Amino acid sequence: MAGHINTTNRISGAPEIDYATSARFTFDGRSYTGLRGDTLASALLANGVKLVARSFKYHRPRGILTAGSEEPNALVELREGARKEPNCKATTVELFDGLSAQSQNRWPSLENDIGAINGLLSPIFVAGFYYKTFKWPASFWEKLYEPLIRRAAGLGRLSNLPDPDSYEKAFAFCDVLVIGSGPAGLAAALAAGRTGARVILCEEDFRLGGRLLSEAGEEINGRSAREWLEAARAELSSLSNVTLMPRTAVYGVYDGNTYGAIEKVADHILQPAAHQPRQRLWQIVATRSILAAGALERPLVFSGNDRPGVMMASAVRTYANRFGVLAGKRVAVFTNNDNGWRTAFDLAAAGAGIPALIDTRTDVDAALSARGRAAGLNIISGGQVVATNGSKALNEVIFTDARGVKQNVSADVLAMSGGFNPAVALTTHKGARPAWSDELATFVPGDLPGGMSVVGAAQGEFSLGAALRGGHTAGLAAASATGHDGAAGDAPMAADEAYRHAPMWHVEGAKKAFVDFQHDVTASDITLAHREGYRSVELLKRYTTLGMATDQGKLSNINGHAIMAALAGKPMEQVGTTVARAPSIPVSIGAFAGHSRGKDFKPTRHIAGHAHAQELNATFIETGQWLRPQWYARPGETEWRDSVNREVSTTRTAVGICDVSTLGKIDVQGPDAAEFLNRVYINAFAKLAVGKARYGVMLREDGFILDDGTVARFGEEQFVVSTTTANAGRIMKHLNYCAQVLWPELDVQIASISEAWAQYSVAGPRSRELLQKMLGNAFDLSDTAFPFMGVAEFDWAGVPVRLFRISFSGELAYEIAVPANYGDALSRRLEAEGQPLGACFYGTEALGVMRIEKGHVGGPEMVGTTAEDVGLGRMMSTKKDFIGKALAYREAMVDPARQRLVGLRPVEAGKPLAGGAHLLEKGAAPTTANDQGYVTSVTYSPILKSWLGLALVKRGPERIGERMRVVDLLRNTEVEVELCSPVFLDPEGSKLHG
Amino acid sequence: MAELNTSPLTAISAFAGAISHAHFEAHGDVHVAERANLGLATLTVRKGQREALKAALLAHYGLELLDGPRVSRGNGLILVGTGPDSFLAVKEGGGWAFARELSATLAGLVSVADQSSGYGVVRLEGPAARQVLAKGVPVDLHPLAFRPDDAAVTLASHVGIILWQEPSARPEQDPVYDIAVFRSFAESFWHWLEQSAAEFGLRQAG
Amino acid sequence: MRIPCPYCGSRDLREFTYQGDAEATGDAFERTYLRTNPLGRHKGYWYHDNGCRSWLLVERDTKTHEIYSVTLAQKEEV
Repeated sequence: MAGHINTTNRISGAPEIDYATSARFTFDGRSYTGLRGDTLASALLANGVKLVARSFKYHRPRGILTAGSEEPNALVELREGARKEPNCKATTVELFDGLSAQSQNRWPSLENDIGAINGLLSPIFVAGFYYKTFKWPASFWEKLYEPLIRRAAGLGRLSNLPDPDSYEKAFAFCDVLVIGSGPAGLAAALAAGRTGARVILCEEDFRLGGRLLSEAGEEINGRSAREWLEAARAELSSLSNVTLMPRTAVYGVYDGNTYGAIEKVADHILQPAAHQPRQRLWQIVATRSILAAGALERPLVFSGNDRPGVMMASAVRTYANRFGVLAGKRVAVFTNNDNGWRTAFDLAAAGAGIPALIDTRTDVDAALSARGRAAGLNIISGGQVVATNGSKALNEVIFTDARGVKQNVSADVLAMSGGFNPAVALTTHKGARPAWSDELATFVPGDLPGGMSVVGAAQGEFSLGAALRGGHTAGLAAASATGHDGAAGDAPMAADEAYRHAPMWHVEGAKKAFVDFQHDVTASDITLAHREGYRSVELLKRYTTLGMATDQGKLSNINGHAIMAALAGKPMEQVGTTVARAPSIPVSIGAFAGHSRGKDFKPTRHIAGHAHAQELNATFIETGQWLRPQWYARPGETEWRDSVNREVSTTRTAVGICDVSTLGKIDVQGPDAAEFLNRVYINAFAKLAVGKARYGVMLREDGFILDDGTVARFGEEQFVVSTTTANAGRIMKHLNYCAQVLWPELDVQIASISEAWAQYSVAGPRSRELLQKMLGNAFDLSDTAFPFMGVAEFDWAGVPVRLFRISFSGELAYEIAVPANYGDALSRRLEAEGQPLGACFYGTEALGVMRIEKGHVGGPEMVGTTAEDVGLGRMMSTKKDFIGKALAYREAMVDPARQRLVGLRPVEAGKPLAGGAHLLEKGAAPTTANDQGYVTSVTYSPILKSWLGLALVKRGPERIGERMRVVDLLRNTEVEVELCSPVFLDPEGSKLHG
Repeated sequence: MAELNTSPLTAISAFAGAISHAHFEAHGDVHVAERANLGLATLTVRKGQREALKAALLAHYGLELLDGPRVSRGNGLILVGTGPDSFLAVKEGGGWAFARELSATLAGLVSVADQSSGYGVVRLEGPAARQVLAKGVPVDLHPLAFRPDDAAVTLASHVGIILWQEPSARPEQDPVYDIAVFRSFAESFWHWLEQSAAEFGLRQAG
Repeated sequence: MRIPCPYCGSRDLREFTYQGDAEATGDAFERTYLRTNPLGRHKGYWYHDNGCRSWLLVERDTKTHEIYSVTLAQKEEV
């Protein structure tokens, strides 16, 4: 494809530009060519492209305003397809061969945008428009207003495709973090680095150097600043204790000297290399930090200041000196400080015409004026720009001189400078407010986050000499504070040019004078906000949306607040300013997610028998992080209930095998282990015999149930506590709290062994037969040798075995555990040995069916209930103290009218019950006042051929036999039930014994 | 009646599945291998027995017990400090029998729990090993901050780990780390490791 | 936020969980329910969940998050 090559704005001699290496790119479908070292913005300007965007609210034509990450206008969609990314700042996008970019917020095209009609309606779209317009009638909100606002809202469009790139997080630690690589940052990094301190230097640009890249003719240590920069880069690269991180922006300051940074690893290439992440989110812990983030030039607020071609003066200079691009051929300058002059001199030297230099001041430094006159500049002192012209790009500047006489000049660029604002955002992330400086007419850092110092322009030290000295001194001090006092040489020397400046917040009487370019907030919006009483800066922000755009008001806030201050007749320090929150630049959500997306959203835990369960066609369910087999479908079973019914029937008539490895297992040992458990559980454990297990319940301090499970005693001083799967971590923490905080005098040792053992429940009338056949003469399973609630430890098949005669299903049942590495083998052995007995594996669903049939409480019954509520009140020992006892007997906790556990059966057989439904007396209206309780668990019992439910009902156990209605207003069902004992099957427990 | 199957059960190590499906490069700056079949046990010191334990460890294993998160080395075993009174004991090739040996040798001084199946242990080495760990481990592993025989109980991505640095010829340039992960997290940990190491090339060691 | 664990050293907040006020006094009811929520200095129990599993007494400023002291809740034996 033949490139549309128009690089007439390119000039030679820019040291950061590789003139020999071109990069082809497209913008809105047209092809252009730039050079290596360009940004998208510099390449567009080199090609004479001025109109790059439409504004958010009025769809006004917008051009490139800045040369940095503060850019409010030149936001583009980058790349295509799934990699399309909206709101990229053309001024920070590093040009690469094959880049494609599209303008956004326009339709059908950038040149002809229908949305621009909003500009004609601008008297309507004033501050508070949304609040005033979309207020009533209420019924209009959902159908009309919200869709309307949503369609208009937002900048750019997402691809709506999954992001094909990967993102990652990383941690870094250092003695000294230097933020920014301008002269102050470089001097700081050099000084700290030379002492041997561990230094990280973060620079959001792709080149180190900051303003040194943009200035011409400066000197450091008597050489050209350029030479010093090259030497500084080389020395820093050579220091093994210094890590240079270009393309890395520090976006946040957090507690504990922690900093957030985003590294654009592969944003500057077409697509990441294999295995290369697109971006990396860094968490940097730095004992000391040095903020050398520089300063941002302030726009001037005058009529037509948003026309493409009106640019920041320092940006115009950057494009010329760093990128070798003349942003215009006739560059007028509008300034209230000396910086505008600098642009005029550099641009004139680069070959541009300077039709006028309009300075608001009448007392410009004599030497500067003389230099200007010598350069032949048309100097207008005491002047003001009052209008600009040009339909989609600037072609004329209209201004008044000191006497108020209007003049006009033709110009294609107007370079404006309203002075500088130190980049203080990172100093405010921990809540400190910046301080107003009358001398500099701007905010400078106030209180600083712990460990941070600020140097150079970020501190309001605008001269090159001061930046270098400040950086050097801060670098030394930071290194010294971390114990590094090595020699670091002298501070680099440079001139201290004066910062002469006369604040001018807006040109009086200006129309369409933009304060916030990105959100289209004008000086008159601020006047309106003032008139309507929204005068505090926080209210002003929300009423006008000043500073609420993606640039966080970096360019607009101070102008806006100063205009408000003038209207309110208050000094700036009383008006104050809003503080920034992290992130100080937009960071993509993908970077924050990092590795944690898709199946890696959170870790997944596998049981040792996972692969075997997969082979057995298990469907898995997430229980916490665990994947547990939910049921094992066999051929011919068309829905999950078929499988579950078969698993229950097999277990109740033959034998079933269930993986129970996920239950928490905690090893409690020591001379005081028994006493310890006695205090933890509501029931007594001190006298539990060795070789026995007992069911226990723990309460929280407030008297409600915490968890339940069995405790097995394997030795005088050795117990194994089992917990529910969900509570394993919580109980470990609780037991450690008891041991370390409550009873440090007890000699007890606690270790989590949940992961060390794979454990299988073997349940059903033929469970003993199966296990005895498998274990052979390694262990005698007869009822006399190993009665109900017995536990034993022995070796078999080359491994240690722990055997428990405990039952959750109500059947004759055992749990057998082996070290988890052998879990897979045990699972397969059980399958093989069980096959002749008609055994099957059962999952969590069948487990749930059988526990409801037996009325065992589970998670749903243990939320905010007391032991008495669920029928376990008699377990509470009156002879000893235990956790929760003190509060378990308060009036409301023992109120007989509390909701307590009962069973439910539908009166009409076959009627299904729904969990969460509420119980009402016959004829009672479904109101909260009439509520008698709710259904906690339901199941269909294939054994009893009926639906069964467990419920918590007011005075439930006293009302057994009563008929009530189960009402579900969400699913719109109502079933008549009879209250019954929660134990539906084998209430005598005859199956367990024998 | 069917024959009694008395054959021993076969062990499958924590990372066996993950490694069998892993993608390895022929060359790479990160080398990984599972340390399977280790003897692992949790040791928790009983009240007032710290000095007696030190003496017993010295007598039985020639091991001088270090305080804090350090690795202490003796004849045939190491103790990794995991808490104020707790250690992970590690023995090459010991399996579950190791815990029994410790219980017998150190009876009354410590409580011992077998963890030979509780953790999977991988050894990570090579010039980029430190960079890989920096992608998930929020601990300073710089050679000045974390040296051979230093240990840390911490996280890798969202998975809990016990990490320690083994002595090696050039610990600054080519560190060797052992990482113990609770068994059930092995797959998730491995996936994080594989992704994080991919840009440097993950090579199977040994 | 970072907490200097007496055993592990300085660690990131993600490794810890906060339990509650360590200075609650009175009977069980008061200790459980009537806890103060002071602005400024505060002593609380923290658990080094993803670290050494020690319970810690952390004295910190609830406004600035500055940490004044951290000790093991279980005093080291002499």
